[in-house]
Amino acid sequence: MSYLPLILLVILVLIVAAVIVTLSSYIGRKKTSASKLASYECGVPIKDSARKNFSVKFYLIAILFILFDVEIIYLYPWAVVYGDLQLYGAAAMGVFFLLLVIGFLYEWKRGALEWD
Amino acid sequence: MELYFFLFFAIVAVASSVAMILQRNPIYCVLLLIMVMISIAGLYLMLDAQFVAIIQIVVYAGAIMVLFLFVIMLLNLSREEGGVFRIQKPLAVLLAALLFLPVAAMVMSYAGGGTTPPADGGGAGFGEVEQIGTLLFTKYLLPVEIAAVLLLIAIVGAVVLTRKGTVSVGE
Amino acid sequence: MIPVTYYLVLSAVLFLVGATGVLIRRNAIIVLMGIELMLNGANLSFVAFARQFGMVDGHIYVFLVITVAAAEVAIGLALVILLFRNRGTVNIDEVRSLRW
Repeated sequence: MSYLPLILLVILVLIVAAVIVTLSSYIGRKKTSASKLASYECGVPIKDSARKNFSVKFYLIAILFILFDVEIIYLYPWAVVYGDLQLYGAAAMGVFFLLLVIGFLYEWKRGALEWD
Repeated sequence: MELYFFLFFAIVAVASSVAMILQRNPIYCVLLLIMVMISIAGLYLMLDAQFVAIIQIVVYAGAIMVLFLFVIMLLNLSREEGGVFRIQKPLAVLLAALLFLPVAAMVMSYAGGGTTPPADGGGAGFGEVEQIGTLLFTKYLLPVEIAAVLLLIAIVGAVVLTRKGTVSVGE
Repeated sequence: MIPVTYYLVLSAVLFLVGATGVLIRRNAIIVLMGIELMLNGANLSFVAFARQFGMVDGHIYVFLVITVAAAEVAIGLALVILLFRNRGTVNIDEVRSLRW
């Protein structure tokens, strides 16, 4: 079976991860103090709880990332066969790209990429 | 050997999906659905669909499901409360059982094992990126362009819906 | 090779589990996830048939379904966020009025 290396890799990764986690939880020394248990031993002190609603602006960035991410699944096969398709392929991808650039310009002009 | 792999992935997929619809904590739901996606990607590999398997993991499990996780954390959702319609749950299970009948009929009618795909697949290069790319930009060019229009609509919709100002309508 | 029927039965089971999830859950985000599960069940049968007939066309449909799923999730989750902002809940049983 041609996927044997892949399966071996997955098994190996699982074994290594399990061994490391178990060993470090059993062998590791557990000397705790208040400052060691703090989220950051150095750097800025914690301002607030992490479990609170954060701004919808993060969501807008994430969603726009996903939509342009999906574009990649068309871009990648296109790049592989570009040598065969030549000008026709460039025109086909040109239209595809133009539509997404329109979307990009829209969100830019609409101020969706501005943080404030 | 191959049957064991199929059974492994199938059992993981079905068990994770059943656990997903019963799980009360939304974050565990997302993680279980990612398990389903990854086992389906394993099945795609068994069906000689390498590129689809990678896309399934990278885009579906890696991007779309992370967006779900992101929104659950954004809204800080905890366990869901009880609903208004008490009869909903038994009714839904009943409907799903009714829907399952055609599947059971299908299993019965193919009890002999059904048709087996040819062992050599669709010839050399089946499911590889070259073949998919050629087909995408020749035979399926119009659907691909329409997919671009759909993405454009989704971009515009997302910007319009979450833009500042619109959220304060009901407040 | 595994008979294609096995894959079809598995895809039907995944579709049904997703449909059941859509019916029994009240959290709008989980309902969307049930729809994702249904789309995945459909994708599995596309790929199984592509292997059966030796045609890659089924893989193309999977890409299109993934695109549709991404667009649907983008808009659906934006609506869920708006719902939460305006109503303070994502419980779909509590969203019954057509206007307010």
